[in-house]
Amino acid sequence: MERYMGTFVRWLLTPVGLFILGLGLYYLMRLFRWEKQQATGLALISPWLFGFLGFTAIPIFYSLYLSFTDFSLFGKEKWVGLGNFIKLFTNDVEFWPSVRITLSYAIFTLPVGVFGSLLVALLINREIKGIRIFRTILYLTAILPDTAVAIIWRQLFNGETGLINFFLSLFGVNKIDWFGNPKYVLPAFVIISIWGIFGTNTIIFLASLKDVPRVLYEAAEIDGASGFRRFVHITIPQISSVILVQVVMSLIGSLQMFTVAQFLRPTTQAGLFMNQLVYTRGFTQLHMGEASAIAWVLFVIILVLTLLVFRTSPAWVHYETEVKDVKNAR
Amino acid sequence: MGSSVAVIQSKSRKEKMMDFIVYIVLITVSAIVLIPLFWMISTALKSNADIYAWPPEWIPKPAHWENFRNAWNAMPFSTFLLNSLFIVVLGVTAEVISETVVAYGFARYSFPGKNLIFIILLSTMMLPSHVTLIPTYIIWNRLGLLGEFDPLVLRAWTAWGPFYIFLMRQFFMGVPKELDDAADIDGAPLVQKFVKIMLPQIRPIIVAIAIFAFRGYFNEFQGPLIYLSDKSKYTMTLGMYFFMGGVNEPPKWNYLMVIALVITLPSLILYFSAQKYFIEGITFSGLKS
Repeated sequence: MERYMGTFVRWLLTPVGLFILGLGLYYLMRLFRWEKQQATGLALISPWLFGFLGFTAIPIFYSLYLSFTDFSLFGKEKWVGLGNFIKLFTNDVEFWPSVRITLSYAIFTLPVGVFGSLLVALLINREIKGIRIFRTILYLTAILPDTAVAIIWRQLFNGETGLINFFLSLFGVNKIDWFGNPKYVLPAFVIISIWGIFGTNTIIFLASLKDVPRVLYEAAEIDGASGFRRFVHITIPQISSVILVQVVMSLIGSLQMFTVAQFLRPTTQAGLFMNQLVYTRGFTQLHMGEASAIAWVLFVIILVLTLLVFRTSPAWVHYETEVKDVKNAR
Repeated sequence: MGSSVAVIQSKSRKEKMMDFIVYIVLITVSAIVLIPLFWMISTALKSNADIYAWPPEWIPKPAHWENFRNAWNAMPFSTFLLNSLFIVVLGVTAEVISETVVAYGFARYSFPGKNLIFIILLSTMMLPSHVTLIPTYIIWNRLGLLGEFDPLVLRAWTAWGPFYIFLMRQFFMGVPKELDDAADIDGAPLVQKFVKIMLPQIRPIIVAIAIFAFRGYFNEFQGPLIYLSDKSKYTMTLGMYFFMGGVNEPPKWNYLMVIALVITLPSLILYFSAQKYFIEGITFSGLKS
């Protein structure tokens, strides 16, 4: 019990401190002639505000600063300018393989993870017997802890006695050393990730399909539109904003791969995911400056890809307001 | 029953064909979902020799139930479980309280800059955690709290789940404002108004958030990996990670699966007892974000 006491006491004191800070903010804003209502509102959200400033806003800039320094946690940061980045880009055997596996993993996971689950959602969006049981099973993958999932798949992909190799052997395929041979690491990761996100994505797509107004389909049926045409001209536009969100979320999520890879431990020749590289450089080798530089490269990659998706979105995403206009016009 | 039979009979041939294809797809997908789970349980009950059998054995004969006791005692997993529960209780409590307060502020008050602040809050959802990881670590180091549970739970008081705040704000906004106004006329103070009128209205969303947060804290791996160093403070996930052994030694698969099973159980129990909340929560995350 002793090991819990310190943390527990500090845990009790933290809200007291935050309350006092909030109260201080309240009176400060009152001095600036804010109304009671306004000052109360700001005070209520102040716990988030203080957390954001202390643990997000300031740290972002601090980590940007650190990426230009040499810092080992002990002692002072030493300014090295672009040194970390130059070393990463030109003289680091681990960096480019890491970028490559991180990007290719995200790119391969995206289409199957998003459009595959859309396809399954379309299929199970039918009121047939026993559909509830199937849905319950499908959602299971969404709730399992990724640590346990990683352990299970590490065994399934086992090169000597794994179940996957057994299934393949039924078709005459020789045993594959999935995590020992760098060629097979990426396919294994993609399969695992698709298994893991399929449930979540399918649930979301299913709900969005149920939101499509029935009237639209009925109107199309009267006009004699075929099933495929109804899908292209009604379903896709109606759920396009959900597809956009899923594409962005899936992209951001897969680029940040860490836990599962940490547990699967494939051969190092395949390359570490960028977040793993941040972890090993920063926390096992204590090169905090270099680790910050890698984290920032990843951050920029995520930012650019997300913006790219959003940039192309006006071409294929139909927002609710347009649909409403069409309905009103009728 | 009678009417549903009539409906099925009235389905056209094409419809029936479609249903058949759907069933085939569903059964295949379900098998792909269930086989790994079945394999976890099956492996957990195998003897050391059975694990390496070729072709693989589906059902271990005999089942080695003693694996459970042996795996649990191979490392101090009782301690790890207690540590995990400690983190879960502190984290979930702090998070639910602070996020309720913050969401209430966003939903019911207006002040200069509120919308901008809320947009910033939402955009933090897209921020990769590793960008702030190292500075955060340095902060906890300066505070002298590395190796303690503090970095894993104290920040929960600052309402660090933007998505939960968003969810709860939506719920608060759905509560009729007349309820507030009635309380204002009675002259009820803020706290009383909040507890008596608001809380009963938003109980469902609080339960949902508590369930999601429970899973989050219990399954958290990266935080414990970075912040905890003393074995007596390991969590279940961290214990399992080190239980895998070194890079080149094969893990004891049967024991490892026992631990994986134990780690999976809380999520499974929550899922089956509160399936509605889970699905609503996951659905909401995709539709409204």
